[in-house]
Amino acid sequence: MASVNDAPHGRAVTARLRGVHKSYGPVRVLDLPALDLYAGQVVGVVGENGAGKSTLMGTLSGSVHRDGGEIEIRGTRLAPGSTMAAGALGVAMVSQEFPLVGQLSVAENLLLGRRPRQSRRRVLVDRAAQRAEAVAMLVEIGLSPEAVPVTRQVRTLPVPQRQMIEIAKAWGHEPSLLILDEPTSSLGPVEAQMVLGLARTLAERGGTVLFIGHRLDEVRAVSDRILVLRNGHLVADLLPDEADEERLIREMVGGEVAHGEPKARPAASPLLLELRGLTADRLGPVDLRVHAGEIVGVAGLMGAGRSRLIHTVAGAQPATGGTMSLGGRPYSPRGPSDGVAAGIAMIPEDRKEQSLITFASIRANVIVPILRRISTRGLLGPRRERSEAQRIAANVNVRMWSVDQPIGSLSGGNQQRAIFGRAFATRPRLLLLDEPTRGVDVGAKAEIYELIDRAADQGMAVLVASSELEELLWICHRIAVLNHGRLVAVLDRADATKERIMTAAAGTSHTAPDLLSNGATP
Amino acid sequence: MTAHSTLTPELTTPPSRSTPARLVRKLAESPEAGVIIACVLVFVTIAINAPTYTSAGNLQVMGRDLAQVGILAIGESVVILTGGIDLSVGALAGLAGILAAWFNVYQGMPAPLAILVTLVICAAVGVWHGTMVTRLAVPPFVITLVTFTVAQGLALSITTGTPINGIDPFFSNLSQFYLGEVPVPALFFVGAAIIAWFVLERTYVGRQIYAVGGNKEAARLAGIPVARRVTSAYVASAVLAGVVGILVIGRMNVADPSVGPGWELSAIAAAVVGGVSLFGGEGRIVGIAAGAILLEFIANGLLALHVNTYYQTVVQGAVLGVAILLDRLRAKYFGRARK
Repeated sequence: MASVNDAPHGRAVTARLRGVHKSYGPVRVLDLPALDLYAGQVVGVVGENGAGKSTLMGTLSGSVHRDGGEIEIRGTRLAPGSTMAAGALGVAMVSQEFPLVGQLSVAENLLLGRRPRQSRRRVLVDRAAQRAEAVAMLVEIGLSPEAVPVTRQVRTLPVPQRQMIEIAKAWGHEPSLLILDEPTSSLGPVEAQMVLGLARTLAERGGTVLFIGHRLDEVRAVSDRILVLRNGHLVADLLPDEADEERLIREMVGGEVAHGEPKARPAASPLLLELRGLTADRLGPVDLRVHAGEIVGVAGLMGAGRSRLIHTVAGAQPATGGTMSLGGRPYSPRGPSDGVAAGIAMIPEDRKEQSLITFASIRANVIVPILRRISTRGLLGPRRERSEAQRIAANVNVRMWSVDQPIGSLSGGNQQRAIFGRAFATRPRLLLLDEPTRGVDVGAKAEIYELIDRAADQGMAVLVASSELEELLWICHRIAVLNHGRLVAVLDRADATKERIMTAAAGTSHTAPDLLSNGATP
Repeated sequence: MTAHSTLTPELTTPPSRSTPARLVRKLAESPEAGVIIACVLVFVTIAINAPTYTSAGNLQVMGRDLAQVGILAIGESVVILTGGIDLSVGALAGLAGILAAWFNVYQGMPAPLAILVTLVICAAVGVWHGTMVTRLAVPPFVITLVTFTVAQGLALSITTGTPINGIDPFFSNLSQFYLGEVPVPALFFVGAAIIAWFVLERTYVGRQIYAVGGNKEAARLAGIPVARRVTSAYVASAVLAGVVGILVIGRMNVADPSVGPGWELSAIAAAVVGGVSLFGGEGRIVGIAAGAILLEFIANGLLALHVNTYYQTVVQGAVLGVAILLDRLRAKYFGRARK
């Protein structure tokens, strides 16, 4: 392991951190005795959730007020907890949540908090100059102004474009230290490549990029140096060629991870879900069959319709054509409650927004769907509630000290397990999953996979949408590939490779009949 | 980088090419257009049915009424734009009137000084609101409700419940004077609207207020002084409430402690009818002014049409309901992703 103070030959130090630490309550989430970041490098940062990556970024960008220690940016001390001070020293950050103001135009967002450089007006808004500079900023990162009109309200744009706008915004500050926090997690492969290219460009111009990544291959491809954080400590400082995937994962989780053997597809089992020519808004036609006990993955690029397919089957989005049948009966939901009544459980993509009441207790959260079942003549007792909640949590091994603690105080993986427990409690026939491991750390991922396996073992049919191909290849019996809303391929696990999936997902949108397999009995 | 082609298909809604269609769509997409059209329709309809409605005298009455609800609505809207709410404006307007009269009559201050001191006190109340909301994260609803209660009580305590008579004619000159045929308070309303429009639309501070209301975190990370912007909104609201209070005692020539509380609801209604989102970050002064005007047209029109007083508030409430219904329908069918 290279020592942090071994300066690469002739490189200036962009950021010097000494004794920087931060605690939330009794938990020290970041503790860095010494760390130097050098000019002209892309520095990858990996670590599990809660390892301190975001806190490190936050202390550098000023959005987190460090408890102690000193940070120097190109020789100047950085005042703690001020985004303005950090910005003035040339630190720009692209955060995961792309904080844009939806009601304002693209141009106003790109120049949020500052004036156009060409404008001499100090108080009055110079819209022409704002627009011109916004266009220039988009062109600078390789977007065409026709693709993203600068006068459009940001909220009318799709998510990947918003992420690109956020990147353009940071790029426009001409940063000497650019912090990218999982910038590609909401992007398709092409846009992701653009972002990686930008990171390299900035490094070549003598800047420093701090690249937090969750896709290890991406981090290894783009970085000159890779830092691994675990429990707030810097545990490894590696060159890309010594940082193979095994090594990184080992450092991240602090031990060896065993790769289990993928499960074989179950023997002939009854057909559970059948979609015939299903269409919905920007989706379809989709013809797909899922058997009981089978795990079928849904792959596709950003915006290909993965979530829309899941939502349409769940009844959360209206179908516009085609038919669905569930367990041999026609199924045409008018809303999610019809889906639930038909024996479907969905675990949506965004835990905070779509699944949980984060400030409420674990108990209150997990018993929501079974309230009617566990009540007697419409009345509920706290004892019954608690015992049911305990049973649900124990069933999926939620680590907690009490079912009465707020669910938001659990780690991402634990929250997700609680959500699985809640879904299982309804005894569904069909389990719909949308990005089941988003925001979950490596160790917890394996446990989520086990839960998915268990669901299939118990005879549930599972339809799982994911942007992570490795994950789908790992857990699914078959993988359906969407391309611009259309189903273009269904690959058996034996035939499925990353390359074949990507070819189908990114190809010109026509169906390749040889790639369509619909689960004939093996 | 040659990635343009892959991003382009993600783009939805190519702009419509024909100009009239685009104009209609643009009108339908903007919440302000509907309110303005409603203003015209209501005015014409009532004018046809009630001849006294358009008399100079009645128009002047409406002008003076507008100075009350309209000015309050402008201040209220600025607060709502930041994502807050100010329930204190009605009671504060009432208290401001009492304070100005009390300083003038019982403390012997000349009227201009009494007005100045009153407005400074109002500004301090605004700073207090802003500080509590931004520094201690007190919900705006709660802290302004506190002020509402206290202000209402103070107005009654100072006067022991009886109106203050004998105020300086300066006050009534201010409120009852005409510029040509136009009552001065109406000009205050127009002036306040123009200033608010200019600040919100044309200055960086104004745009930053929208940014703060639209996404506080984004604004903070972009280096916008969020606390200062929010506080300035509460100050604007409180000072405008003070102005209204002073105009009101001049109009009535007496400072009545029972006046004021309740007006905050009209102010909020005008803002909502005018297209201001209670979630913040959305709404324009044109719409807010039109909302206030529409409510005044209706309130006054009901009198002109000799509608039974007992039914008037029912009608006003129904109008508010219909306005909100129409706005939501409009947003659903024409607006994109408006929340």
